[in-house]
Amino acid sequence: MEDGVTATQVVFWILAVVMLISAIGVVTAGNIVYAALFFIASLAGVAGIYLILTVEFIALVQLLIYGSAVVILILFALMLTRARERPQALFGRSRPLGIAAALGLLAALIGGIVATTWTTPESTSAIEPVGLQAIGDAIFTLWIVPFIIVGVLLSIALDGAIMLASPDEDDN
Amino acid sequence: MPPLEHILVVNAVLFAIGVMGVLTRRNAVLILLSVELMLNAVSLNMVAFAVYGQVDFGNITGVVFAFFIIVIAAAEVALALGIVVRTFRNRATANVDEVNLLKW
Repeated sequence: MEDGVTATQVVFWILAVVMLISAIGVVTAGNIVYAALFFIASLAGVAGIYLILTVEFIALVQLLIYGSAVVILILFALMLTRARERPQALFGRSRPLGIAAALGLLAALIGGIVATTWTTPESTSAIEPVGLQAIGDAIFTLWIVPFIIVGVLLSIALDGAIMLASPDEDDN
Repeated sequence: MPPLEHILVVNAVLFAIGVMGVLTRRNAVLILLSVELMLNAVSLNMVAFAVYGQVDFGNITGVVFAFFIIVIAAAEVALALGIVVRTFRNRATANVDEVNLLKW
């Protein structure tokens, strides 16, 4: 496992720090629109880490679906709920309790990670990149039925979202 | 590549930040953003396990799962934002602590 600090590791830590700082910005920003912009930066950091893990396909899907579609949906929801026009408290009364619970969970998770002996290859340089072809083979052979089901689920969910958000006939 | 433990710790921190957002924010859209952060941490974890384990276990199921998680997250965001917009129209608020119609 000890093959020194490589350039990849340096890039990983830069991306990780950017991602985590943006994530903290998402949950602490005082302005709702800034929180959404921090969210974009955080997603880009996650996509970069996917690239470091050699799964370009997931990185592209992340940027296309999360980075554009989901973010645009969220910005539309923020505008439709007129979040900026009415300044108001962004945090609930139980904020200290929430922070304490999150820190406790973090301590438990890191304790578990440190205490576990992971079965990993001896040297990380032995890991081969996950090619596009391998992912395509897995999705369209072994996981073809879940793939179809998730497609149907997505169609139903988007239809349902349109139904939910469209006005009632007796609204006006 | 960085050791597996480093990636897991980074993902644990990201997940905890998401939990903090869910527990402290009032606005439903911001709570949804925090849930997305948690989902991202989990799918990053799955990809990390798949990439580091493919030599020993010989499959990349975790990568496929990350793909499915992203697709389902898109469906979930669309539905949740539809509900938020509908709630705002009915109750004129997007804060979860003011939508207490079912609270006894």
